[in-house]
Amino acid sequence: MARVPFDLGASRRGRSRLESPFRLPDEPRIGRREGNLFGRKTVSAWRHVDLMLIVCAGAVSALGALMILSSTRGTDPDAYDLSFLHRQLLYVGIGVVAMVLVTLVDYRRLGDFAWLPYALVLIMLGLVVSSLGTERRGAQAWFQIGEFQLQPAEFAKVAVIFALAVLLARFEPPMGLPPLALGLVLLGVPAGLIMLQPDLGTTLVFVGIAMGVLLIGGAKVRHIVVLTALGVIVVVGVLNSDVLADYQRDRLTVFLDQDQGLREETYNLNQSKIAVGSGGTTGKGLFEGTQTRLGNVPEQHTDFIFTALGEELGFAGSATLLGLFALMSLRVWRTAQIAGDRLGTLICAGVLSMLVFQIFQNVGMTVGIMPITGIPLPFMSYGGSSVIASWLALGLVLNVHMRRFD
Amino acid sequence: MSNTDAPRLRLSILAVVAIALFASLFARLYDLQIVGSPEYQVQAEANRVRTVQVEAPRGRVLDRNGKVIVDNRVAVVVAVDRTEYEDLDEDHQTMLVARLSQELTAAGQPVTPEEIVERLGDDRYSRYAPVPIVHDVPEQLKIYIEEHPEEFPAVEVERTAVREYPYGQLAAHILGYVGQINEDELSYVEAVKGDKPYTLNDHIGKSGVERTFEQYLRGTPGERRIEVDANGDPVRVIEESAPRAGDDLVLAVDIDLQALAEQKVRQGLEQARARRQTGDEPNNGVTGSAVVLDPRNGQVFALASYPTFAPTAFVDGIDAGEWAYLNDPANHYPLYNWAIQGQWAPGSTYKLFTSYAGLKSGMRGIDETYNDQGGYAIPGCTGAKCYRQNAGGAAHGNVDVRRALTVSSDAYYYSLGAQFWIQRDSFGGETAMQQYLRPWGIGDETGIALTGERPGRVPDAPWKRSYCESIGCGDPVWRAGDNVNMAVGQGDVLVTPLQLANGYATLANGGTRYVPLIALRTLDARSGETTHSFEPEVGDTVDLPGDIRQAIVDGLSGVPHPGGTAASAFSGFPLDTWPVAGKTGTAQVDGKADTALFSAFGPVADPRYQVTVVLEESGFGGTAAAPVARSLFDVLSGTVPKPVAGPGGAIPDTGAPQQAAGTYD
Repeated sequence: MARVPFDLGASRRGRSRLESPFRLPDEPRIGRREGNLFGRKTVSAWRHVDLMLIVCAGAVSALGALMILSSTRGTDPDAYDLSFLHRQLLYVGIGVVAMVLVTLVDYRRLGDFAWLPYALVLIMLGLVVSSLGTERRGAQAWFQIGEFQLQPAEFAKVAVIFALAVLLARFEPPMGLPPLALGLVLLGVPAGLIMLQPDLGTTLVFVGIAMGVLLIGGAKVRHIVVLTALGVIVVVGVLNSDVLADYQRDRLTVFLDQDQGLREETYNLNQSKIAVGSGGTTGKGLFEGTQTRLGNVPEQHTDFIFTALGEELGFAGSATLLGLFALMSLRVWRTAQIAGDRLGTLICAGVLSMLVFQIFQNVGMTVGIMPITGIPLPFMSYGGSSVIASWLALGLVLNVHMRRFD
Repeated sequence: MSNTDAPRLRLSILAVVAIALFASLFARLYDLQIVGSPEYQVQAEANRVRTVQVEAPRGRVLDRNGKVIVDNRVAVVVAVDRTEYEDLDEDHQTMLVARLSQELTAAGQPVTPEEIVERLGDDRYSRYAPVPIVHDVPEQLKIYIEEHPEEFPAVEVERTAVREYPYGQLAAHILGYVGQINEDELSYVEAVKGDKPYTLNDHIGKSGVERTFEQYLRGTPGERRIEVDANGDPVRVIEESAPRAGDDLVLAVDIDLQALAEQKVRQGLEQARARRQTGDEPNNGVTGSAVVLDPRNGQVFALASYPTFAPTAFVDGIDAGEWAYLNDPANHYPLYNWAIQGQWAPGSTYKLFTSYAGLKSGMRGIDETYNDQGGYAIPGCTGAKCYRQNAGGAAHGNVDVRRALTVSSDAYYYSLGAQFWIQRDSFGGETAMQQYLRPWGIGDETGIALTGERPGRVPDAPWKRSYCESIGCGDPVWRAGDNVNMAVGQGDVLVTPLQLANGYATLANGGTRYVPLIALRTLDARSGETTHSFEPEVGDTVDLPGDIRQAIVDGLSGVPHPGGTAASAFSGFPLDTWPVAGKTGTAQVDGKADTALFSAFGPVADPRYQVTVVLEESGFGGTAAAPVARSLFDVLSGTVPKPVAGPGGAIPDTGAPQQAAGTYD
C-alpha cells in the first residue's frame, strides 16, 4: 500500500505505522483496555488529536452561524432578531463540550456500554410517536422541552452507529448470516420507529449508514446486492403506500419533474434553486441575499441553510463549504484506515457514511438533484439535536484517531 | 473475500462512492451558479421587486394662438389601502365600507358598499397602491377624513389632476373626452406597450384629439419600485421616479373662430326651424356643421358640430342618465361629430366635381354651351323617370360651364351625366365619370386625426351590383339615370362636410388635396419648447389644368353676385375687395326636409379660407347654409371684428345670419 500523505501527525513524528494501517484484531478487545479519566493515557492520547478535523467542523459551524443570522434576523434594521444565532451558538458550545467528553474515555471501553445510548434512543423514539411527542411539518419527531425541542432521531443515528460497530466488531469477516441478521435488527428497530413519525429522510440516512458499515464490516457481496434490491423495493413500496401524507410524497417526487408549473410542492424547490442560482460566482454578499433576507425560501435556517450560503457567497462559498466537508470526510476516512482496531474502523465507516449521505442528500435537494426530505446539513443547519449529535459523532472519530497507537 | 486485502479494497470503494457524490454536487453547483446564474438572477429580482405606477398629469390642449382649451385641475381622490384594509377584521371592514359609502354619497359621489367591495376585490389594481374609490370630492370631506383617521382606517385622500374645460362645451367634438381605461383598451395598449405603460387605474383619451394624440398628451408615469418579502408585504421603497407631465398639444383651431362657427350654426338652425317649410316636410333643423379650413395647407381653423355635449361630464365617469340622453336617437347623437361622421347627398355643391369630369375628360369644352330648357330627357330611356326637370323648374337657356355653376343649371349636368354613360366605351368604361370624381377625396376618409370619420360614397356600377345583392333591391343594373342623379349630387352619392370642404380647398389651391390638419405641434410641458411638429400632408393631387380651374372658379365666383344662387345671402358683403367663390346645394331626402349646403372660399385671387356649412332638414342652401357661411366670411374678411370667446365659451353675438331668399338648386 502506498504512503498516505494526509496523516500529518504521524508523518511529523516519523512514527508511521503504514506497514499495517488496518490491523485486524485477533480477538475482540472490548473492555480489555485500561484507561482512567484524566489519567496519563488520556492526556497523552490528546497529543495525537486530529486538529484538522476539528478546525474543519469549527469552520463549517461558523459559516452555519453566519447564514442562520442572515436568514433569521429579519428585515427591520432597528430590531434584528438575534435569538436564532444566540441559540445556535449555545448548541455549538454544548456540542463541543459533548465532543470533548466523548474523547475522554477510550472508545473500546465505551463500547462496553454501547447498549446504554442505544436503549435510551429506542425508548425516546418509542415515546416521541406517542402523545408525548410534538408534531411539526407533518412529522411527530420532537419533544417540546420548554422553549427547546429535542429530536431523538438525530441522536439515534450516532447511537446506532456506535452499537452497530460494537456488534459487528465481534465477528470476523466474512460476515455470516447471523451477525448480518443481528445487525439489520439493530438498525431496523430504530429506523422503523422513525418511519412511524414519519421521517423518511432520517430513515434513508439509516440505510446509508447500514450500507457503509456492512460494506466495511465484511458483509458478503451477494448479501449486499440482495439488501440493495430489497431497499429499492421498500422505497418504491413506501412511495405507493399510505405511510406518507400526499404532500410528503409530492415533495419527494417533485424533483423528478421540476417544470410542472407553480404548484405548491414546486415552490420550495424553485425558490431554493433561484436562491442558489442567483448567487452566481461570488454571491450577492453577506446579508445581501434577497431570497434570504426577504424569506423566500421556506425552512431556510434549518434544512435549506445551504441556499443562504449559495446566494450570499456564491459558487466560491458553496465550493469552500463542500471543500471543508470533503476534507472532513477525508479525515474520517483516513481515521478508518489507520484505526487501531476493527471497532475503530467500523465507527469511522458509520460516521463517514452518515456524513457523506446527509451532505449529498441535503445539498442535493436544494439544487434539485435529490428529493426534498427533511434532514439537516451537519454542523450547518439550525437545531440543537442535529448540532450536538454531529459533534458527538465527531468525538467518536477523534477518539478512534487519537488512540490509534494503543 | 477472505484475503487480507478485502478491508482495504472495501474502504476504497467507500472512498470512490464519496468522491463521486461530492463530484456530482460540484458539477451541479457549477451548472446552477456559473452557467445558469443570469436566469436565476432575473427570477430573484422578479421575486423581490414590485413596481407601482404613479399617474402623471396629461398635457393641456391649446388653440393656435396659445389659449388653453383643456386644462388640468387638482381634484381630491378617496382611496383605500388594500393591505391595511385586509388587516381589519370582518366587522370593521363592513363598518368602514358602509361609512365610506354614506359619506361619499352625501358628498355628491354616490357609491354603494357593494361597489366599494367589488373594487377592493379587483386583482387588477396593484396591491402596492391604494385603490381609488371616487375622484373629485369636496375639499371639506378630505379634511374631515384626514382629521378622523380612527373612523376611516385604511382610507387615504390624495390629490390628483383631472381635466378642466375653460371654454365649456366649445370644440367638444374636436377635443373628445378622457375616461378610465376599460378592459379592451387595456389589452390593446398592453399589446403595444411603450415607455408610458398603463394600469387599470389610468385615464385614457376616449375620442377626439384626446384619443388620437394620446401618445403625446399622456404623461410618463412615475415608478415606485418596492421591495417585498415572501408574503408580498412591502419592506421598503427601493427607488422612486417622479411622474412627468405629458406634452401640451397646440391645435390648428382658432378657439374664437370655433366659438363663432358653433354660434352661427346654432343660429342658422334656429332660423331654419322658424322658417315656413319649403317643401312637404317641416324644417326640423336637427343637425348642422361648419368647417373652416386653410386651403394652403389643410389646417383646420374651426370644425363645428351641432348638437354638442359637455366633455366635463365625463370627468370621473359620466352618470347613467346623461349617457342615455347622449345616446338617444331623439336627441340626434350629440356625441357624433357630424362634420366628419355625418354623410349626406351633396346636391348641387357636387357640380364642382362633375364640371371637372366634363372638362377634363373632354366631354364638354370650356366654352361649349348647352341649351338648358328647364329639363332633360334621358336618351333611350323608357319609363316613369326618364324626364328630369331642373330643381327650380327654370330654363336657363344656353349655358357654358361658368354660367351652369353660377345659376346651378341642372340640365347641363343631367346631360353630362347621361353622356358619360352613353359614351362610356370611349371615356374609360362603366366608371368613366367616377374616375374624375374620386381624386377630389369623395368616397374616402380625409385622414384627419379625429375619431370616427366616415368615408362617404361615390357610387358606380360595380357598387350597385354588390349593394343590391346585399340588400336585395329590385334593379342591380347601373343605368344612365344613375349617372344623371349623381351628376347633380343626388342619388346614392354621399359626402361628409369635411370632405366637401377639402374638395373645394383643393380647387382653391390649384389641385393639392391636403389631409386636414387638426394639430400643429406639441410642446414640452415645462419648457414650452416644441417637441414635435405636425407638417401638412398631401393626400392626393388632382390633375387640374389652369384653364379648367379658372373656368370653374369663374363660375363659382358668380354665385354670391346678383344672379347667382347665393346673391341674397351675400348682399352687402364687400365682394369687390374680398371676392368669394362658392356653391349652394339643396339635397333632397326622402321623407325629410332638404339638406342645405354651401361651400366657398376666399379671397378668390389668393384663397386663405375655405368655409363649408351643412344644415340638415333646413331647406335651400342659398337660404339656410349660405347666410351662415357669409357671417363667418364677415369675420374672416375683416369686415366684422373677430369676437373673443370668454370663460365658458360664450361670445358676443355678432348678429344672426342674415335672412336670405334662396332658390331650389
